[in-house]
Amino acid sequence: MRRASVHRTTEIVTSGGAANRSGAFRFWLVLAMIAAYFATMAFLIYSARHATETAVVTTDFSPAMIALAICMAFSIILTGVFVLVRQGD
Amino acid sequence: MMRIPRNCILFLLATASTFCAGGSAFSAQSEAQIRQAEPTTIVFFVVFAVLTLLISFWAGRRATSSSEYLTAGSSISAGQNGLAIAGDYMSAGAFLGLSALIYASGLDGMFLAASYLASWPIVLLLVAEPLRRLGKYSFADVLTQKLRERPIRILVGASTLVIVSFYLVAQMVGAGELISLLFGIGYGPAVITVGLLMIVFSTLGGMRAATWVQIIKAALMLGGSCVIVALVLVKFGFNVSDLFKTAVSNHPNGSQIMGIRGFAQDTIATLSLGVGILFGTAGLPHILMRFFTVSDERAARVSAFYATCLVGLFFVMLFFIGYGSIAILRGDATYANASGALYGGNNLAPIHLARAVGGSMLAGFISAVAFATILAVVSGLIIAGASSAANDLVVGLSGRHLEERMRLRISRISALSLGILGIVFGLACEGQNVAYLLALATAIAASANFPLLFLAIYWDGLTTRGAVVGGTFGLVSSVALTAMGPTIWSKVLGLGPAIFPYDSPALFTVPLTLIVCWLVSIAKAEPEGDWQLAGSPAAQYVE
Repeated sequence: MRRASVHRTTEIVTSGGAANRSGAFRFWLVLAMIAAYFATMAFLIYSARHATETAVVTTDFSPAMIALAICMAFSIILTGVFVLVRQGD
Repeated sequence: MMRIPRNCILFLLATASTFCAGGSAFSAQSEAQIRQAEPTTIVFFVVFAVLTLLISFWAGRRATSSSEYLTAGSSISAGQNGLAIAGDYMSAGAFLGLSALIYASGLDGMFLAASYLASWPIVLLLVAEPLRRLGKYSFADVLTQKLRERPIRILVGASTLVIVSFYLVAQMVGAGELISLLFGIGYGPAVITVGLLMIVFSTLGGMRAATWVQIIKAALMLGGSCVIVALVLVKFGFNVSDLFKTAVSNHPNGSQIMGIRGFAQDTIATLSLGVGILFGTAGLPHILMRFFTVSDERAARVSAFYATCLVGLFFVMLFFIGYGSIAILRGDATYANASGALYGGNNLAPIHLARAVGGSMLAGFISAVAFATILAVVSGLIIAGASSAANDLVVGLSGRHLEERMRLRISRISALSLGILGIVFGLACEGQNVAYLLALATAIAASANFPLLFLAIYWDGLTTRGAVVGGTFGLVSSVALTAMGPTIWSKVLGLGPAIFPYDSPALFTVPLTLIVCWLVSIAKAEPEGDWQLAGSPAAQYVE
């Protein structure tokens, strides 16, 4: 039982050190993702309530589609950036 | 007396059920009222079912320890795990359900798809690495690194089984309806056939078999979707503008299908749904379980990235499949009635589209892939539930860790029990709203599991009391509020106006659970003392 207690202390110190190194970066990325998602949601709801018929049918992709595509691309880019940066740790 | 190996009996049972289903489907073709089953579909179905059973038989011979059975011995590579995670996301619900939603109302389906994709950076950034570093069989391993083990394992075991059960029932209902429609057999035989295959598959093969079937299925699903999209674009001369114009002219909502419609009606309801999806993925047991199958944190991280890319690619193809369905199937009397509803239900939009652009061969292939999808996702769910039952609930209730053989035995018995439970509830819940059950499971995961996991990893002040009170609050409140919401209270139970006005309670229950955990934790400090149970797996990490 004593061994397990020793292990716990070591584990927390180790993970705490790692968290300090990448914690701020991780925090800002999470915030960026959440903000991007809710901004997309707000834009979609706004554009749905203020849509004009002609503006939609004359384009290939509607503004709502482009907003969703940007949000999806941002998700992928964010994970890619994080993985690339963490590879150097 | 000659002793027949248990694996052989299970294998023969599953093979017999496969061919019985195929046979009944073939004979059903003569019935005038059922016209879905085709020989090519049945051939692909039987080939896929036998292939998955062979994989489970192969994996079952290696599954001699609980580590091998539950986490494939943590020997899956990052690329393989990325494909398997993506396979979990390319479920029948996503492939058929989202396509159907786009077919019915346009961009609403893509809003859900984007929400699911946006949840992946949250999983990667917040939980993937700590899970792999601190966990072994379930996310309770992470919590018990700093919290008292027994109450935490009971809580996590209970919440995991609740979430898995809801997911399982939803998948079984969907599977029953899909197989029934695709192969022209009754709902009951369809559920029992899928259930038997699922029990054999998960009990015998374990996580390695589930992973390999997910990998194969994900590759086939991506390949099949690519072919459908290419053929749709060929039909419109690779002119996307023509595709959209045809879709807009075919759909009764006209240009409104180019934007979201249903989700723009109630901002709070949409926000709550979004919060549930955004944070729910990081609390889904069968997704978290995947991070224990790789060797280290780096592999967990890279596999999450691969999964995000593949899921993104898949959703882009769903976009074209959905709008292609509107442009090609709507108004065609072969596939849809005068009101635009597809024969066999809107869920069959991608199957009908495959038939329209690629003939019965492509339709049969896509149908069989959809079947393999159900089998693989359900098996992953059962293994996640079995792992939590053996490593969390039984350990928490008995107060001691189990020996290796006993853990493996209880895992297999749990898988068998969950499979039988899935068949029984699947039969009982015929006609229930599948999307509702899945949304409930995600909302519970976001409310009960995610706050605990998040606080345990990033806040040293979390106490056992805070986690247990907060987790119980999140579990009970999310289940209760969803039950009192419009879907179950008014539509399913018919009890009049809903007490709680929103279907997904996550917007309220997630922050409230975090606050309850925080308040209870700061109210009273954790007493120092031994918190690891005898024979704790944590002891294995010491040296």
